Amino acid sequence: MKHIWRFLLQKFLHFLLLLVALSVISFVLVGLSPVNPIDAYIGADVMRVGAEQRELIAQRWGLDQPMTTRFFLWLGQLLQGNLGTSMTYNQTVSQVIAERFEASLALMGLAWLFSGAFGVLLGVVAGAKEGSLIDRVIRIYAYTLASAPAFWIALLLLIIFSVTLQVTPICCAKPPGILAADVTLWQKLHHLLLPALTLSVIGVANIALHTREKLIEILHSNYALFAYAQGETTTGVVLHHGLRNVALPAITLQFASLGELFGGSVLIEKVFNYPGLGNATVQAALRSDVPLLLGIVFFSATFVFIGNTLADLSYQVIDPRIRFGKSA
Amino acid sequence: MILNLSKIHIFSWFWAILSVQLLFACSHVASSPPAAKISGESKDEIVLAFLWEDFDDKGFDPTMGWNYYGPPLFQSTLLRRNENLELVNDLAQNYTISSDRKIWTFKIREDVRFSDGQPLTAEDVAYTFNQTKESGGLLDLSVLDKAVVKGNYEVELHLKRPQITFINQIASLGIVPKHAHNKNYFRNPIGSGPYRLVQWNPGEQIIAEANPYYYGTPANIKRLVILLTLEDATFAAAKAGRVDVARIPPSLAIQQIPGMNLYAHRSDGHAGLMLPYIPNTGKKTSQGYPIGNDVTADPAIRQAVNYAINRQVLVDAILEGYGSPAYTPVSGMPWEEAKAKIQDADANKAKQILAAAGWEDKNGDGILEKQGLKAEFSILYPAKDSVRQGLALAVAQMLKPIGIQVNAEGRSWKEIERRLHSDVVLYVLGTYDQLILYNLYHSSVAQGNWQNPGYYANSVVDQNLDRGMTAASETEARLFWQKIQWDGQTGITTKGDAASTWLVSPDQTYFVNGCLDLGKQKQVTHNYTGSILANVTSWKWNCD
Repeated sequence: MKHIWRFLLQKFLHFLLLLVALSVISFVLVGLSPVNPIDAYIGADVMRVGAEQRELIAQRWGLDQPMTTRFFLWLGQLLQGNLGTSMTYNQTVSQVIAERFEASLALMGLAWLFSGAFGVLLGVVAGAKEGSLIDRVIRIYAYTLASAPAFWIALLLLIIFSVTLQVTPICCAKPPGILAADVTLWQKLHHLLLPALTLSVIGVANIALHTREKLIEILHSNYALFAYAQGETTTGVVLHHGLRNVALPAITLQFASLGELFGGSVLIEKVFNYPGLGNATVQAALRSDVPLLLGIVFFSATFVFIGNTLADLSYQVIDPRIRFGKSA
Repeated sequence: MILNLSKIHIFSWFWAILSVQLLFACSHVASSPPAAKISGESKDEIVLAFLWEDFDDKGFDPTMGWNYYGPPLFQSTLLRRNENLELVNDLAQNYTISSDRKIWTFKIREDVRFSDGQPLTAEDVAYTFNQTKESGGLLDLSVLDKAVVKGNYEVELHLKRPQITFINQIASLGIVPKHAHNKNYFRNPIGSGPYRLVQWNPGEQIIAEANPYYYGTPANIKRLVILLTLEDATFAAAKAGRVDVARIPPSLAIQQIPGMNLYAHRSDGHAGLMLPYIPNTGKKTSQGYPIGNDVTADPAIRQAVNYAINRQVLVDAILEGYGSPAYTPVSGMPWEEAKAKIQDADANKAKQILAAAGWEDKNGDGILEKQGLKAEFSILYPAKDSVRQGLALAVAQMLKPIGIQVNAEGRSWKEIERRLHSDVVLYVLGTYDQLILYNLYHSSVAQGNWQNPGYYANSVVDQNLDRGMTAASETEARLFWQKIQWDGQTGITTKGDAASTWLVSPDQTYFVNGCLDLGKQKQVTHNYTGSILANVTSWKWNCD
């Protein structure tokens, strides 16, 4: 038990350092960005907003202060647990993130499960049938997915299923004109299906190929040979010896892919007009909305960090050899 | 102003989205149109898509700038412009302007209730104005000193200086209830407009229903569902029969959708070239950007450009016919000066003007020179905007035969900002607010930003602008808005200083369900301006 606490404490310190570094880097980058946040805020009204009003807008959002002052003001707020207010949405950053993440969570969660399940399944089948036709088909499929940009796949699927066949919706998270309370679970899933499927593509190829490699390695190992010698079938070796060993890289990849999943959802949400965190990220960056951008950076860092920590902890369960307390 | 192309946006857009649109545009041509309507709307509910994605972020708080250059839908305004851009009373019963033109007194209706049933009083009006002035939002009320309650239904607006265009701000600002205005108001707007908000899903849709407390003519259409989709998703949804009113770019208007009519209506958007007015003497803006251009500083060049361009060809070729030629920044507005119009596409006249000013082609390369200076300039436009690109390239083609070399350059907004005062920039602006005339041409606003970018200065124009601003009424001011265009001696348009080259005013194009009567002519006309929603309460559903 002592070890696990030490491990978590260490992780936590790492995490704090990461956040400090992230906030400094983000502030510097936004400071160097060519986007003038006041112009971006005013947008089309540029000819109707005079110098006096520009000043007022700058004051309201603290944009009249130098970047360093803004950084320390923001830091002070943060220490009181306040992430600030988003210029883009006129709303506190925590509110924006909470609302947007709700939509994204369903999308990313579903995509994550899809990619994990499909990836492992395809990898195991391909590995067990190394060299066969089905192995080759799966590999070609995985290579194609791995090299195709997610948004491009999204477009293809959208054109095939939504525009031509009209079996999936064209956009959004729910059908138009229906009150939030009246939206059925089926309607929600219907609107989630295509985006989640597309997003899962990001993870599938990776996990399938790594799982396949690992399984082939296991099937060629001495202990597999020993099992065969005792009359075990290939299916038996895969089930009794393969899966446990294969799980390690698969789970690592699965949790490590949370970062990519986050990035992928930005593009996917844009293509499907899905109102999640991805859309908010794009807006925040395009408008130099520093508090929102930092809020999202923090949030995504936390998200990815927790994912990786969970992967580390899961080894404890799966692989007795790397359990805490075992002298290495 | 909802025109996509009218945005002076500093955004460089995601190129991925662009490819979405391209792919979509192609796919629609091929796909067969579905005949039946899929959504189950009755005559009480219609689905609209206005390309409003920009108004979606910030919600519906007028004190932060919510309106879309039409009625603010959920709130109502003291005055408003009808579909012919005439000012009419809305909440106001009448108003007077004091003799020093600094105090505007409004008597307001006594029968108005907010959508929560509470009465609307002078308190609410004064609160709205004072709050908006301080909020640092998008509506510039800096000319307002304070709003004062004079009685239950009487309010005074005190201005710091006389300014007749303040009337446009008054017609833009929806009145909010003092008792229910808080930091969550933007998503729960309570107002006295014809509709009230039922649900807003940011990035997806707005659902509104008729406000039972509305004091005006009750709306025929009881429910509006406004989709917040992008251009191509909007078009796809219209084709799929899911939308009753769809705003689409003119480039898609040439297509046909069975069961839908095309409405093209004249908008207040105008596209024009901003020409640097002064020569380059090494002067710089406070940010260090160069000012002046020796070629465009020559009035002969500016006039020749104006005469040589064939504006009708621009309308037909770039806007697919959905627009009209523009000779002034306010073409088609009631305050356009008709005498400022010229006969364009006149290459001979352009050549004469240039020759008379000493421009000639000595080395035979097809480009004129004058004292070693080549007749050459760049037109800058935001690279991703295909309409502006088309205009810039067409202008370059049209000026070549008269010996002027134009380089059309697609650039980022950031680079355009740096070269704004030393190169020609293609502006697209919504110009129904006459304040924009002031901000385009008054010498005092040339301070190194988007306003008067060419450093135009003419004391007669300045005087007329000042007199227009301080006029006692909009009618009186109109005379001066006309004079600045061309007063018989001087002005900003071609016959005068040719301070800029106005090209076209694009129409707004909509596909509208054949069963929906918007109370306007169905044929394509270029007649009216203003927002399509100006008469939303009189829209009718004509089928069962």
